[in-house]
Amino acid sequence: MQAIYAFGILILISFLGARFVFRRKNIFSPLNYFFSSGLIYIFLGLYLGKHGLNILSVQVLEGLTPLISLGLGWIGFLFGFQLERKYLRKFPSNYIALSFFQSLFVFFLVFVVVFSALKPFFASYSVFLLYGMAVTLGLLASMNSPALLNAASSKIPEKGNYYYLARFLASISAFWGIVGLAFISSFWHFPFFESKVFENGLLFLLISTAFPFILGYFFHFLTLKKTSEQDLLVYILGLVFFVSGAAFYFNLPTLYVCMVMGITYSNLTKIHEEIYPLFLVTEKPLYIVLLVLIGALWDFNISYEVAILVALLFVVRIIGFVFPLRLFQKILNFSFPLPAVFGLCFLSYGGIGVAFAVSIKLAYPLVLTDVFLSSALIVIILSEILGPWALKLSIFPLDSEKKI
Amino acid sequence: MILLAIIVVLMFFLKSPVLQPFSNNLQSSSIALGFIMVFGFLFGKKLSWFKLPQITGFIIAGVLCGPYVLKFLSVTDVKNLQIIDGLALGLIALTAGGGMRMKKLKGSFKTISAVVFFQTFIILAGFVVFSFVGRAFFPEMILFQNVAASILLGTLATATSPSTTIAIITECKSRGKYTDFILSTAVVKDFFVIILFAFSIAISKSLISPFKSFDFGFIGKTLRDVGGSAVIGIIIGGGIILYLKFIKKDITLFILSIAFFTYQISRSYEYHPLLICLMAGFIVQNLSSQGESLILAIEKISVPVYVVFFAISGASVNLGVLKTTWLLALICVVWRGVLKFFGTFTGAKFAKDDPGIQKYSWAGFISQAGVALGMAIVIENVFPEWGGEFKAFVLAIIAINQIIGPILLQKLLIKVGEAGKRELNSG
Repeated sequence: MQAIYAFGILILISFLGARFVFRRKNIFSPLNYFFSSGLIYIFLGLYLGKHGLNILSVQVLEGLTPLISLGLGWIGFLFGFQLERKYLRKFPSNYIALSFFQSLFVFFLVFVVVFSALKPFFASYSVFLLYGMAVTLGLLASMNSPALLNAASSKIPEKGNYYYLARFLASISAFWGIVGLAFISSFWHFPFFESKVFENGLLFLLISTAFPFILGYFFHFLTLKKTSEQDLLVYILGLVFFVSGAAFYFNLPTLYVCMVMGITYSNLTKIHEEIYPLFLVTEKPLYIVLLVLIGALWDFNISYEVAILVALLFVVRIIGFVFPLRLFQKILNFSFPLPAVFGLCFLSYGGIGVAFAVSIKLAYPLVLTDVFLSSALIVIILSEILGPWALKLSIFPLDSEKKI
Repeated sequence: MILLAIIVVLMFFLKSPVLQPFSNNLQSSSIALGFIMVFGFLFGKKLSWFKLPQITGFIIAGVLCGPYVLKFLSVTDVKNLQIIDGLALGLIALTAGGGMRMKKLKGSFKTISAVVFFQTFIILAGFVVFSFVGRAFFPEMILFQNVAASILLGTLATATSPSTTIAIITECKSRGKYTDFILSTAVVKDFFVIILFAFSIAISKSLISPFKSFDFGFIGKTLRDVGGSAVIGIIIGGGIILYLKFIKKDITLFILSIAFFTYQISRSYEYHPLLICLMAGFIVQNLSSQGESLILAIEKISVPVYVVFFAISGASVNLGVLKTTWLLALICVVWRGVLKFFGTFTGAKFAKDDPGIQKYSWAGFISQAGVALGMAIVIENVFPEWGGEFKAFVLAIIAINQIIGPILLQKLLIKVGEAGKRELNSG
């Protein structure tokens, strides 16, 4: 019964949230973006969860698993759906290369620093687990989202190459992180394999890729003939539930599995114009519900170790995005300079970062994962608060000074 | 057909013994939900090729995938996914209420009220009589319990599915006297059936407990519940009107919240959620110009909700129980048909309507779906000791009626020459 009420409360919250919170006022004023991005709902979830009113208790959250699965799957599918070959081809190939090297650099830098810091703090844990945590934090740090850039779009008067490059990089950077997540989930599959690690890992990777690939084709065949809006909604909801449900069932990476289905379908179908309006209707409420549930799942913990991790993650990530830009500019033959300050516009994680963090929490029910989630969520929230300010420092002067 | 086969094969593969060691059965609700939504919907579409309503397909898909046939859904999955019931029933009742237009009702008020009265009276009386015959099937029940179950069964038997009626009329592009009469009567009857159901539940509660003396207080309580439900429905209807008139944004989400909360909260306080939603829909349709907006908003989101709702209802059919009661179910279907004929004939004759309406229109009242199913679920909750078996039995009757009902209505509309007389965009 409590699960039913919780479900109802979530519908109401998502309705009110979609109605009142997602308004674009002055995106650059302090805390404004934090509210308008919807991240405030994580705190609402925290309050409704076991640390507060306990309406979203552990038991209730178990009953609401389909909603968490749908929320994660929806984000993955939506992200994958945007990765259309036709769209990607419009950009020079060195843009994609820059995205890859930028993510790779940030990943390695964060991995090395975090792993070195983890060893003394968590000496009692096996190195195997510490490696896993450092890798996941590295992957998380390499991701960012275009949500802030989109929200600030109308406030940026001079849109030039820097704005469009930043948007492109932010749009696809999560791809590398999600692919990395697929490798971790397959080869570090929980419960951990005792033997045949490589074979089983490959099997999981194959299933994670082939299953959504087949369903992407399946979806395409369903919509080959003219499909009504209602039918499309049933197919999208049903298939995302099905694929994300299968991911939950086998503890596969939901984001990756649904992303593959999104990519497959997007590159086969010709009805993008009919699909996007459906996303617009459903995206906000589903996202809010997911954020509230993530807040309720969060075992809130600000220990000394978490504080150090957050500070490290935040600083090292900025270093990773800022400093190697000039080097990449030379290696990848960019036609315009990439000053270090440009890297500041990649601070925002957006919903994909939150989804990534909670995917790890759900895939690995370990004590260490709670430390991971706390560090990840705090650093995401911090980045969303400071992101607009950093964006203002980077894109504004660059695009207005040098329009190429 | 190939796509249906592909998704079934995929599900077989995912549930195969090879992959079982890697799976987490506690997390199977999401995969079950996704599968049943896609499979049920496709199956319903395929069934519509054979001139059968999609709802029948959803139910059969649920039965096939449920815990007794293919076992894609476990009993726990079915229980977990019944969270969707309240939402679907709220939406169905809002749609039914929204379908009642005063202008149309006024024109044939005399015939409609006479048919509703005689159908209800004759069917209820017929099923109480039937309870004495039915005793042979339930020898463990005492007479009062038998009568109580028959009253509930009779009440359910009175119900017709407005949503199926609307769907068939739309499909046949039908227009004319018979069409208007059948649709209006089906909707009005549903309204009265819900009120009647409230009384039936109260009477049955008193009859069913052999150790309790007959409680006359139930009449007051029922009146309070029904009256209270009507008042709450009016208030909610007013709220919906104000929202649709002044706020106008995120209407679908708003209607979802209203349907869900109204159903769950009113059920907790022993009001009648179906009556509340029906009244709210009626108020919006007839006291404002927002009726179309309401119906459109429901139509936008209702399909996935209905697919899961009907499929899960099918999956919850206990085939073990059905095995032992199929003969009685079949007899009930035939008996209901006979009573429907006499009820409609007597009512139309009393109202002095034309002989065609008297003789043939009964065929338009056979289909049963959402409201009857909703009442069966309420019975299951109110009488947990035997409600589950009763629901399985009623579901068998509904399933048979849902297969023959639309076919009979379709044949009727063709016979009286109203099929194909207009282009309809929606129900």
